[in-house]
Amino acid sequence: MTRVNLLLLVAVLLSGIYLVRTAYDSRRLFSEIDRAQNEARRLDLDWQRLQAERHAQATNLRVEKVARERLKMRPITPAITQPTTDAQAASGGRT
Amino acid sequence: MSWFKSAKPGRVASGRGAYRGNIARSVRYASSPLLASKTPPWRSRLLVAAVGLGFCVLLGRALYIQVIGTDFFQKQGESRYAHSLELPASRGRIIDRSGQILASSVSVPSIWAIPKDVDAGPQERKQLAKLLEMKPQELELKLASSPKFVWLRRQVDPQVALQIKQLGLKGVFQEGEYKRKYPEGEASAHVVGFTSAEERGQEGIELAFQQQLQGRDGSRNVVKDRLGRVVEDIGERIPPVNGQDIDLSIDSKVQFFAYQRIREAVAINKAKAGSVVVIDARTGEILALANAPSFNPNDRRNLSGNQLRNRALTDTFEPGSTMKPLIAALALETGRVTPDTMINTAPRSLVIGNWSPSDEHVHAELSVAQVIQKSSNIGAAKMAMQMQPREMHDMFTQVGLGQRPQIHYPGVVTGRLRPYKSWRPIEQATMAFGYGLSASLLQLAHAYTVFARDGELIPISLVKQPDEAHGVRVFSPKTARAVRLMLQMAAGEGGTSPLAQTQGYSVGGKSGTAYKQEGKGYALHKYRSWFVGLAPIKDPRLVVAVMVDEPSDGKHFGGQVAAPVFSQVVQQSLRLLGVQPDLDVKPQIVAHQLNAAEGNL
Repeated sequence: MTRVNLLLLVAVLLSGIYLVRTAYDSRRLFSEIDRAQNEARRLDLDWQRLQAERHAQATNLRVEKVARERLKMRPITPAITQPTTDAQAASGGRT
Repeated sequence: MSWFKSAKPGRVASGRGAYRGNIARSVRYASSPLLASKTPPWRSRLLVAAVGLGFCVLLGRALYIQVIGTDFFQKQGESRYAHSLELPASRGRIIDRSGQILASSVSVPSIWAIPKDVDAGPQERKQLAKLLEMKPQELELKLASSPKFVWLRRQVDPQVALQIKQLGLKGVFQEGEYKRKYPEGEASAHVVGFTSAEERGQEGIELAFQQQLQGRDGSRNVVKDRLGRVVEDIGERIPPVNGQDIDLSIDSKVQFFAYQRIREAVAINKAKAGSVVVIDARTGEILALANAPSFNPNDRRNLSGNQLRNRALTDTFEPGSTMKPLIAALALETGRVTPDTMINTAPRSLVIGNWSPSDEHVHAELSVAQVIQKSSNIGAAKMAMQMQPREMHDMFTQVGLGQRPQIHYPGVVTGRLRPYKSWRPIEQATMAFGYGLSASLLQLAHAYTVFARDGELIPISLVKQPDEAHGVRVFSPKTARAVRLMLQMAAGEGGTSPLAQTQGYSVGGKSGTAYKQEGKGYALHKYRSWFVGLAPIKDPRLVVAVMVDEPSDGKHFGGQVAAPVFSQVVQQSLRLLGVQPDLDVKPQIVAHQLNAAEGNL
């Protein structure tokens, strides 16, 4: 009888220790997930910000300015445009 | 026990000789003379009662905590470890038809401090002040304003925030806040509008679509440990719902170009203001809606005053000569005239009471088409006088005059069109050339879609429409085509606005000029000039309306002031939309070829 009780005591102790360990692990993992999620959100916000910044760099005003000043381009008019029709596209298929 | 054993025998022996030695071993305390003192029994009872009472108090307290006050204590306990975190939703973006961002929310750090915890030395403070772009005294003043919490600077540059973080100052913290960015700036400021610092829509699309853009914040309850790390979720987590993106019909390239041109025209003509509306005649989408002067929505300081008005939608004026094509169309539709019917337009050939309309240039006789081409008030009035007031009123209503435009936008005005029963004959005549009723520039552009769409009035929209629009028939296709030819004449040689011509595309349109109303009468030297037209004439793709308010540099006719803007906007927009030129253009492509002789040099 005593032996059985002892055995049960040891079992209880072991399961208790195991429980503590699991709870600790789960909390640790959870906080890691949480940290990762926060990081993901932060990166997402960064991405949005950078996207907006990229658009700000490519506004029509800037494109036109760069085209005119740095690349020395000039606006096209129908007078300097030669309209052509793609023979392949017009015949409606590949050759 | 052993202590008693060793000590007691002696005492017992000396105390009572009558006890025998073997009895002395088992002590009888009761008979001990020391213990036999005459203590009153209530003392021990009192003690028992006191201890019992103590237990009762404890029990009562336990009962109070566990049963009666349990909610309060549970809550108090929870607040020590549980925290409610807000999950902020981001506001939706506003996007043009090709995916360009017109407005977007970005997260920017804000710097705050708990002044009583700040223990930085003078050198560090100086650095911090420099990074925050303020004087050291200013920083001190801010830190002195409250011991608990103070914003040092809101919405700083991410780079600066990083540098501040690297300083590693105690008591200085950062927090992400959302800020609205408008990459296109002033070009599309009126359409897009702007938000308050708390990201609530204040103007334009931002206000009109506040509900959809806003989104809903979520929340979660968590357990935090000693170090402030989240270790567990409690209860349900409410995820944040981000705001929807709004796809506008605006084409940012067309918009930018239109804005640039109208700004230029306002500057050249020393005008007060100007507006342009570009409508796609196939889908009814508004491709551009620009006003000058404009404002930069990224800078909060100038978000007030007159430049915020979206004049194309909120300002009404008497549409003047631009009404004549509508009158001609109605006359054609009802079979009263054909384009070649001759009308006597001699001065004072139409007299109502003792009033008669007059023309800028005197013509003895004009055909209906020429009445439009030369913009004859007398001719238009004569056509109108053949009609019933009711017919005219119905037609005006059908093309949207005096009706609120069906677009989702704040501040859209209705214009004014009085019920036909109260029209006097003079008014009926003046309405033929656009006096006595009022409309916004958008309404005018909308009305002209009937000509572009072979007689159909299509609904217009500021939001992207994927499908071809279907409208309500007002005129027959034959009438619409006939009027289009008249409009082409008006915009050509011998018309009122040849400056509307473009290279490669056939255009048609009608100019308008009017004295500005001031108080009850008309101001003498204040004009408003505008031009409404369409292109290309055969199969119109665009309806463009241009208005310039108070041009004061000599020129004031719509054909001189507004038509050139129309021409440039149409030319660029059609090219951007990839419409093939329908007119022959004298090519200016010069092939440079070195001949052999020169080549050798």
